[in-house]
Amino acid sequence: MAALEIKQVFKNYGSVQVLKDIDLSIESGEFLILVGPSGCGKSTLMNAIAGLDDITAGSISIAGRDVTRLSPKDRDIAMVFQSYALYPSMTVAENIAFGLEMRKVPKTQHEAEVARVARLLQIDHLLARKPAALSGGQRQRVAMGRALARQPQVYLFDEPLSNLDAKLRVEMRTEIKKLHQRLGTTIVYVTHDQIEAMTLADRIAVMRDGRVQQFGTPQQIYDEPVNLFVAGFMGSPAMNFIRADVTRAGSGYGVAVRTARGEAAVLALPERGAGLGPWLGREVILGLRPEQITHVMPHRRDEPLVATLECTVEVAEPTGPDTLIQIRLNEQDVNARIEPRAQAPVGQAMPLMFDMSKAVLFDPATEARCH
Amino acid sequence: MATVMARASGAEHARRDRLQAWLPRLVLAPSVAITLVFVYGFIGWTAALSFTSSKLLPSWNFVGFEQYLKLAENERWLVAAQNLLIFGGLFIAVCLAIGVLLAVLLDQKIRAEGALRAIYLYPMALSFIVTGTAWKWILNPGLGLQKLVQDLGFTGFTFDWLVNPDKAVYTLVIAAVWQASGFVMAMFLAGLRGVDPALIKAAQLDGASLPRIYWRIVLPCLRPVLFSALMILSHIAIKSFDLVAALTGGGPGFATDLPATFMYAHAFTRGQMALGSASAVLMLGAVLAVAVPFLYSELRSKRHD
Amino acid sequence: MTETSRLFLGRIALYAALAAWAAFYLAPLAVMLLTSVKTLDDIRTGTLLSWPAALTLEPWLKAWSGACTGIRCEGLAPFMWNSVLITLPAVAISTAIGALNGYVLSKWRFRGSELFFGALLLGCFLPFQVLLIPMAQTLKALGLANTVSGLVLVHVICGLASTTLFFRNYYVGVPDELIRAAKLDGAGFFTIFWRILLPVSTPIIVVCVIWQFTQIWNDFLFGVVYSGLDTQPVTVALNNLVNTSTGVKEYNVDMAAALIAALPTLLVYVLAGKHFVRGLTAGAVKG
Repeated sequence: MAALEIKQVFKNYGSVQVLKDIDLSIESGEFLILVGPSGCGKSTLMNAIAGLDDITAGSISIAGRDVTRLSPKDRDIAMVFQSYALYPSMTVAENIAFGLEMRKVPKTQHEAEVARVARLLQIDHLLARKPAALSGGQRQRVAMGRALARQPQVYLFDEPLSNLDAKLRVEMRTEIKKLHQRLGTTIVYVTHDQIEAMTLADRIAVMRDGRVQQFGTPQQIYDEPVNLFVAGFMGSPAMNFIRADVTRAGSGYGVAVRTARGEAAVLALPERGAGLGPWLGREVILGLRPEQITHVMPHRRDEPLVATLECTVEVAEPTGPDTLIQIRLNEQDVNARIEPRAQAPVGQAMPLMFDMSKAVLFDPATEARCH
Repeated sequence: MATVMARASGAEHARRDRLQAWLPRLVLAPSVAITLVFVYGFIGWTAALSFTSSKLLPSWNFVGFEQYLKLAENERWLVAAQNLLIFGGLFIAVCLAIGVLLAVLLDQKIRAEGALRAIYLYPMALSFIVTGTAWKWILNPGLGLQKLVQDLGFTGFTFDWLVNPDKAVYTLVIAAVWQASGFVMAMFLAGLRGVDPALIKAAQLDGASLPRIYWRIVLPCLRPVLFSALMILSHIAIKSFDLVAALTGGGPGFATDLPATFMYAHAFTRGQMALGSASAVLMLGAVLAVAVPFLYSELRSKRHD
Repeated sequence: MTETSRLFLGRIALYAALAAWAAFYLAPLAVMLLTSVKTLDDIRTGTLLSWPAALTLEPWLKAWSGACTGIRCEGLAPFMWNSVLITLPAVAISTAIGALNGYVLSKWRFRGSELFFGALLLGCFLPFQVLLIPMAQTLKALGLANTVSGLVLVHVICGLASTTLFFRNYYVGVPDELIRAAKLDGAGFFTIFWRILLPVSTPIIVVCVIWQFTQIWNDFLFGVVYSGLDTQPVTVALNNLVNTSTGVKEYNVDMAAALIAALPTLLVYVLAGKHFVRGLTAGAVKG
């Protein structure tokens, strides 16, 4: 039985369709992340799951129960809000116990519940304080504690880390992951940060314009994006998109590229699926991630799908562990990731290794992946 | 938890939820009813009365625009309307001038700012009756201001405006300005505090002197405050009834009559209910003439944001 | 002249101007106080600002319990009590209703609620003269003419717009997520209001109460139209006291009476003026 099942959900705001045919389902204990740019509908979908907004068509089931018509408090869910939404006039303990009080849990049990949750999140020493006296990270924990005290079927997190500074965000991210591993709870999490999505999720739903573009594991989404948008959205720095023509490469196919220096070359493509026959001579968009264009590593030079080209360094951005350089291929900007020591001075050429084994191709007209 | 959930039936949930959905409407309903009946309904009622020939008691004998024609020829009404323009115009202009001046002065990092602000504002806490009573004494022709100045040596000084039919309306202005200018000051001071200090620093770097900075840069930023102040001051001016009752009683004769006192006199003491209603409707028209363009421009600017 | 001495003179001129204006605003109060403790002879021989030859509290005693306000000659005391009976319930009721209205308009918006808010706001601006006659007829029909309850009703009706505005603008600043979290926790309409919003409403309640108290206590128009001889508020009584010309005009009693009538709202201003100003400017910036 799926912990959460969203079937053919549509939602209209007046004449605008903000959710279009959403179909998702996750098992108990899974961590689902809804990710996408602002306006894609992820928060709307979350509010629909929570019951804070109703849907125009479709159904939502939690632990096998159809909750589509039920109000939020009857859906057996808990939510952690972006701004934490802690009740300002109550202490931390009262905040956590409020939900228990609303559901008529006997007062004698409140203290035990609050203590259990406080111990889990290490906020025991904060129980008598009011939210105004807490730091951002502490408030976040209290918000999670409030959700934990409900012991719901599904936890909903609405961009809980976006109000924290960068360092705290990374810390809390790990905390959430540890909590998930320890408690094995079902979580639906909304974020616009694709790094959070990659690191935390069991499954990711990439959304755009109210539609789910792709639903899969992080690695699936990363390695096998279903269209241009998903490919460009996930991964930082973003995947390179190079317009090139498909030509023959030995017994197989490849794409024709021209460097800034005018040298032409053919990068061989892997054989997959239906084959590239119909695409011969046509323009496609080659998707190649920066980490697939590197400095020359001698031990890989002779692999079949690895090519070496001399490219001129246009811009160099050292990040510490590596250096990102920008080159020109087919008169388009392309990013590569090389070892800092291998970098040639800006304006000069250096040999770069292209690992085509993970290259993907997109149809320029439909933006869908064609190879 | 889950078992507790399952026990409550779906139908019970639905019923409870439906009640909850209607609560906001139910709570607002009394106020909606009150506003519809007691405000808009009553306006309609007054307007209807203005088309009748009601005298002491309401009668539903409709006579068209007769009352309005009577008003147009009523000398007292014409004086009242003229007084409103004189009083209103002067009151608003002087209040604005003093209010802006005081706000600018207080904006100069004054040491006793809090105390001064409190002093400039306290008249707003008084009833217009108290204000009128006080100024009636101060402007008393024999024993008030006139005597004070004369006793100081200026034996030729006279100040009998209060009993002078041509000058009496100006006494209203003096008292009203005393009461309300502090309020304008408070509004403009708050507005001044909201001006981006970076603007002023940029102007200073450009070499502008302080008065010029205020005149060319800061005050133009305060247009919204100006409009708010204009609206509120106009509102006070048109509604002015208490002040006239206490300060001059409408006199001498009816030289300081205002539409508000005219309306009260005719509707309640002179048994001319329909005429009074007509004057009330005209007062409403005057307010709408000021409020509607203001609201319209506000709504339009909001849409641009 | 050096730059610093020019600036110094400038500051002196500034403070002089501010002090002069302070004198302008304080002068009438000073005059009232001085006149109220002089004898009538003193008033006739002295000037507005002359110090009393002999201090007397007679005028105050007379203003409180002996002066004539029309037919009755019991001073202002009974009418102060009337004002209390009118003001306190009206303030309490209009504030309570305004709070609930503001809550609904800011957190539970529905189709038509914004329209209602606009209609309410517009109602704020209208001159009350257009309501006077119908209101008088209605009060008569309800048997509330010339009663304290009638006046309370009128003040509640006319105060609704401002109180609703105060609370609505305040609650708009309370994050919506707070309400959503409470809904998720299982709280209903009234629980959210009582347990979550009210505890953080103290600032606006104070502003609203002070504003309403000042407006209603200082009102004259409704008082003079809707009250009877026994139910007049103190403003009406004061006006009668000052304007009844039976024999000699007792300016000292008039001034003492005016000060007595002004005392409650002045006291509120002195003690809580900050909130009063906030109320004024909040209403003004509503736009």
